[in-house]
Amino acid sequence: MSRKPFVSLWVRGLALATLCALVAGVQAAPDPRAGRVVVKYWEKWNGFEADAMRAVVDDFNQSQNRIWVDYSSVSQIDRRLMLAIAGGVPPDIAGVWGLSIPVYSENNALTPLDKLAAEKGIGPDRYIPVFWDTCRHEGHLWGLPSTPTTLALVYNKKMFREAGLDPERPPRSIAELEAFNEKLLRRSPDGGIEAIGFLPEEPGWWNGLWGYWWGGEMLRDGKVNVGSPEIRSAYEWVQSYPERFGVRELLAFRDGFGNYASPQNPFFNGRVAMVLQGVWIHNFIQNYAPPDFEWGVAPFPSFDPARHPDVTLADCDMLVIPAGAKHPREAFEFIAYVNSPGPMEKLCLGQLKFSPLATSSPEFLARHPHPHLRAFSDLAWSPNARRYPVTSTWTAYQSEMRNAVSRIWSGNADAGTALATVEQRQQKNLDRAAARWTRMAPVLKKLWKDTSP
Amino acid sequence: MTGGERRDLATGLAFISPWIIGFLAFCAYPVASSVWFSFCDYSVLSPAVPIGAQNYIDLANDEVFWTALWNTLFFSAVAIPLGILVALALAILLNFDIPGRGVFRTIFFLPSLVPMVCLAVLWQWLLNGEVGLLNNVLNVPLEALNALLGTSLAAPNWLADARYAKWGLVFTVVWGVGNAVVIFLAGLQDVPRHLYESAEIDGAGFWQKTLHITLPVLSPVIYFNLVMGLIGSFQVFAVPYVMTGGGDGPERSLLFLATYLYQNAFDFWNMGYACAIGVILFLLILACTLVLRSLSERHVHYAGK
Amino acid sequence: MTSPTKQNAGRLLVFAILIVAGVAFVAPLAWMVSTSLKPLNETMSLPPRWIPSEIQWRNYPDAIREMGNFWLYAGNTLLVCVLSVTGTVASSALAAYGFARIEWKGREKVFWILLATMMVPFPVVMVPIYGLFKDLGWIGSFKPLWVPAFFASAFNIFLLRQFFLALPKDISEAARIDGCSEFGIFFRIILPLCKPALLVVALFQFLASWNDFLGPLIFLTEQKDFTLALALQSFQSQQGGTSWHHLMAASTLVLIPVLALFFLTQKSFIEGIATSGGKN
Repeated sequence: MSRKPFVSLWVRGLALATLCALVAGVQAAPDPRAGRVVVKYWEKWNGFEADAMRAVVDDFNQSQNRIWVDYSSVSQIDRRLMLAIAGGVPPDIAGVWGLSIPVYSENNALTPLDKLAAEKGIGPDRYIPVFWDTCRHEGHLWGLPSTPTTLALVYNKKMFREAGLDPERPPRSIAELEAFNEKLLRRSPDGGIEAIGFLPEEPGWWNGLWGYWWGGEMLRDGKVNVGSPEIRSAYEWVQSYPERFGVRELLAFRDGFGNYASPQNPFFNGRVAMVLQGVWIHNFIQNYAPPDFEWGVAPFPSFDPARHPDVTLADCDMLVIPAGAKHPREAFEFIAYVNSPGPMEKLCLGQLKFSPLATSSPEFLARHPHPHLRAFSDLAWSPNARRYPVTSTWTAYQSEMRNAVSRIWSGNADAGTALATVEQRQQKNLDRAAARWTRMAPVLKKLWKDTSP
Repeated sequence: MTGGERRDLATGLAFISPWIIGFLAFCAYPVASSVWFSFCDYSVLSPAVPIGAQNYIDLANDEVFWTALWNTLFFSAVAIPLGILVALALAILLNFDIPGRGVFRTIFFLPSLVPMVCLAVLWQWLLNGEVGLLNNVLNVPLEALNALLGTSLAAPNWLADARYAKWGLVFTVVWGVGNAVVIFLAGLQDVPRHLYESAEIDGAGFWQKTLHITLPVLSPVIYFNLVMGLIGSFQVFAVPYVMTGGGDGPERSLLFLATYLYQNAFDFWNMGYACAIGVILFLLILACTLVLRSLSERHVHYAGK
Repeated sequence: MTSPTKQNAGRLLVFAILIVAGVAFVAPLAWMVSTSLKPLNETMSLPPRWIPSEIQWRNYPDAIREMGNFWLYAGNTLLVCVLSVTGTVASSALAAYGFARIEWKGREKVFWILLATMMVPFPVVMVPIYGLFKDLGWIGSFKPLWVPAFFASAFNIFLLRQFFLALPKDISEAARIDGCSEFGIFFRIILPLCKPALLVVALFQFLASWNDFLGPLIFLTEQKDFTLALALQSFQSQQGGTSWHHLMAASTLVLIPVLALFFLTQKSFIEGIATSGGKN
């Protein structure tokens, strides 16, 4: 071996590294923020939803000359954010999921906002109640909403018509849903499935929460409640799918499904007629469904609509101030700005969602392009608008539920067995979290009382 | 100790001092605190609270942990021997005097250079159930067979099917075996020619020569690769993590000890629990290495010893 | 004794098997490049086609744009790689010298400890090391990724020690008689003789840093600080399996520098790996 490649490699490597460092240095040079407090803001969205927030950030930055919000989209924000908070280098504002509030707050990862909100006169009367509740945990306020959603039945009217169903008469109970399902089912000559009315697994994002439409609770008195008759009956319904349609046939059918955000989405290309979806579906239909796609929205049918009408999962994205943020007051200025009517409606219009605020202006409703906005926003006011189960262990609980559904779906376990596994594992997890919380609560509650900004 | 000895000791320690500091800071101290934290309830954000052996008791009752352990052991038990077998076979074939040896060696070696994230993304694509390259290749013989026998065999949807997901991962390991091929090939070139020649005179064929000369001479190298493979596959993380989009695969079929440790530490904030998993992982590696070592004393043939 | 015909038939068979195996080993890489040059709809076409109907070079700039700050990530990766390589080569050479060419009491025992540390995988010590870097205020910076490299690694010490041991003792003795200091011997005499070995260590470390995923995953917090490996994973998780042509283009881009480095240094690379095989 000669020494030439060795030396020259080093020289080249070093030169390149220096160059890159220089480029990076030049890029980081600040200008419009001179003399302002720079507030770092991480958001989970990307694409058009990120752009909608960016427009609001720009407005805010121009509306005053004291604070500069430095906005960036961060992928996999849950992990990144916890790492940054634990590592002592958090952003000043973070956009997180509503269901993260219990786990973040109980782990001392957030700044309580009670005093800051009171100073700005922000209180429960401003919001649709379910969203205000989402912001609170253990007697403190941890965040304020950005944009909300509810879940509803979204269905393909053309497929209804072709199957001889009335496109203006969606199913109103699970029994009806299944009757429609039979009518919408199309099989190929060799017995494979070509199209179906409904599949719990498509898209299957709320596989842990089917019990809600049976009137069930995931937690009751600190206990994992999956053994209750309601939840059990919900997952027996899930189990009926592989039993009725065949494990292999369903797997083969689902293999042909394209990605959610693509024209191959089975709902868009007419292979699944009904889905459980959020308010954002409008945007995806516009982008990926064929131009003649006709769709309707209705409350997702519950098992017993007389006792449990208009069941939905209501959730909102959340703006929080991580613990250890350097500029909490300035960060809250921005959060409060977003939560005033004008900017909030601009954001929700940009993201094609309804507003979490209790009242929406007539202009907002008139300008909004979403054809079924009211169907979703009305559900948020429903007495059966449910939230994600409030526990710091929900992430694990949820993944356990998904695992249970995956076992049921593949025919490896019946609903009872799969749920028993969930109960056994998650009860332990819950007890553990409860023990931990009992130990930490007095310390943390005092801390939050004393140090909240 | 004489003055000279003392001076040598001082010089020696001075030379290895970077390693000593590194050893204390990044190995001894972390291992010790890992053991300590494994007896605590700990999440970086709040102070560690000792809870005795509770983490280990919980682990023993945690089916997810057993799944992760089983997956790790299964994966190691399949991937390591298979990898060594393939590498050995390729090296022995390359050791024949045939045209283009250098080209072949490069071809077999290249995949082992592919960074793990690329490897995972690439194989996720190759193993795609419907349009993946692998299934398109497999479907040719399968369809012929189906036409012939009237069966309905189909290639599995590798990563989406709990029964096959780990095999998908095994493919990536076998594909990246080029490192071992090069090592074995170098080892083969050290086999004294005269051994083969005298065996040929005795009428030994290819298999006999392989079994009685090649393998014994290569045994130290095989042993070394076994140990390194073991340490590597017990901590497999990046490829399954990326392949499953940061998850653990269908029915947790791609949940490994390192994944579960990571999840507990950085998703569930049970760092004490994570440390307990780490301690068990370490003890497992230790135990397996010791077993291999005692086996090696019987079966590994060291030249000149 | 085998007949020449039989021998030739055997060689032909070996050659045939090698061709098949070679195709199997090359196919995934070829498929990656092929996909990276296809229009989106052709990535999903059945039966698969190897040659795109039209070669779409545009996928590469598109992938770079979609990944965000690709060149910044490349710069970050290179910076970490260069610093780690410098640190590892310098510190491992020093330590290996201490283990190979100076006789001191207890050396063999300490060397055993060093070998034993190879059994401690990173995940086992990950949590305390994370805590350590947090206390140092290093989370979210590159320091956790390169500073440890300055404190030598067992494997590299082991490798270099093999080389150092192979050099005859007389050269050091002669220098000592000439009044050369131990560090002088190391720096002026031994190191120049071991450049091939140092290059091997440098290459291995470069690859290790380039490939590292778990480290950046837990230590880096800001997107602008991502390394290529982490950026690729983050790109993949955002994509969620739609634009395979862009993902394959991005993967190819991450792989190319490694391949280039390999072909530039092929000979020492292969030799290095052959020596790392642990014949002792």
